[in-house]
Amino acid sequence: MRREALARHAPFVSSLVLGLAAWEIVGRHTSEAFMAPLSETLLRLWQLAASGALLAQCLSSATLFVTGVVLAALVGMPFGLLLARVPVLRRALDLYIMVLYATPMVALIPFILSLMGFGFVPKVLVVFLFAVFPMLYNTIEGARSIKPELIEVARSYRSSEWALWREVMVPYTLPFAMTGLRQAIGRGLVGMIAAEFFLSSTGLGQIIMEATQNFDTAAVFGVILIIVFAGLGLMRLGRMLESRFAKWRS
Amino acid sequence: MSGPAITLDAASAPARLRGLGAGAALPRLVAGIVIVAVWQGIVRGFAPDYVATPFGIVMAFPRVVQSAAFLQATARTLGAVAEGLVIALILGTAIGLVMGRSVIGERALRHYVNAFYAMPMIVVLPLFSLWFGYSGAARLATVVFAAIFSIIVSVADGAQAVPKDYVEVAQSFRSGRVRMLFEIVLPAAMPYFLAGLRLAAGRALVGAVVAEFFTAIDGLGYFILYNSRVFRHDDAMVAVVFLAGFGVGFDALVNWGTRRFLPWYRRDEVRE
Repeated sequence: MRREALARHAPFVSSLVLGLAAWEIVGRHTSEAFMAPLSETLLRLWQLAASGALLAQCLSSATLFVTGVVLAALVGMPFGLLLARVPVLRRALDLYIMVLYATPMVALIPFILSLMGFGFVPKVLVVFLFAVFPMLYNTIEGARSIKPELIEVARSYRSSEWALWREVMVPYTLPFAMTGLRQAIGRGLVGMIAAEFFLSSTGLGQIIMEATQNFDTAAVFGVILIIVFAGLGLMRLGRMLESRFAKWRS
Repeated sequence: MSGPAITLDAASAPARLRGLGAGAALPRLVAGIVIVAVWQGIVRGFAPDYVATPFGIVMAFPRVVQSAAFLQATARTLGAVAEGLVIALILGTAIGLVMGRSVIGERALRHYVNAFYAMPMIVVLPLFSLWFGYSGAARLATVVFAAIFSIIVSVADGAQAVPKDYVEVAQSFRSGRVRMLFEIVLPAAMPYFLAGLRLAAGRALVGAVVAEFFTAIDGLGYFILYNSRVFRHDDAMVAVVFLAGFGVGFDALVNWGTRRFLPWYRRDEVRE
């Protein structure tokens, strides 16, 4: 039993140790402006945390991210459901929504910058734009999967509009909307960083930008490390939400 | 923390356009006219003159696509995307096969790949500009970085999904490892590989554009940045239309290639 566990975890643990050791060694043998070793990165991260700057910037980034993604969900889900209920509207708009879903939103950032300048609102707009189309697109996919018979049966039993939504529309579309939310969370994170890099510099993006200008690679690596863990955590959260609501999905 | 879910929700938007119901032409046309009219009306009514309008973009189109600056920018960006994709394909397929066909490889590498894959690629831009300078090399590195992880993940998933029966039959006929790789594993992983390639191409294009934003080297991203700064939004929008077109076009190309050369793969099989 123990040996089994050892065999299972040995490759992971040894590759982790190897990776961290390689980081430390390469960092020590290259110029400081090129790469910081692991130890220095962690030390710098600790300094940033102790000064309170790290927490403040994390909160600033989180506010941006959450505002954008929540707005995207608040707009994307009801609008997607509306499109689900009104087929004419859905047929009219689905092509455009899919084209926008495929358009690299990052290309719109210069326009947003030029029209709205530097502030919180344009940055939220960037996160919103990155996040809203996966929401819409997946909700519409869900809507397309509703069998017309279900609605016909509900109709022929004189189901009220409210009951129709509660018993058919929402349960059928929700799992797809959750897939959309998972994708929106991932894209929203990209939007957050893009907004912080290319619009006014705030949050974790600001730490990275300033550290790059000062050749403070330890801070750059430290913040990237935080963002990697944030990405992994958010990905897991998205999966959790998705599987929690996936039981209806055929 | 694994599974095809990562790869397969990549089934991309334009690919499904074919599947959309017929009889939508009229509502779509009406909606299109309404969107264009509202956009034109709002901008003309409330926004400054330089803001892009549908008519402005259409008018700018012939002039922009014939300009040397635009053509050169397009060639630079697409060249970097193509070069980066080839590098990412070769390296990514090799790493993906190691992960897919060896348990140790999977356990040793999966966490790194997942971590890099979950990380927004934009975040490495400042670092790459430090390492590679404000040059084409930084853009190429960004493209490779943006594209490679979706290829690794999908090749690994595909190589794991090879039906056991095939491998057992090949083994009982004493097939060599190399031959098995090329004749069984790679063909069986092909649908996953194509799904990963589609995703990678989109990410590579975004990678090239953000690298150009960041380093201000010549390309479509910089073309957009520059023209929006000098208040020629219509011209910049033409480049955005092209970027969207490249994404959709590459997708259509992969789909066409799949149907033409690999007709036995149906998209649906890959989706679940």
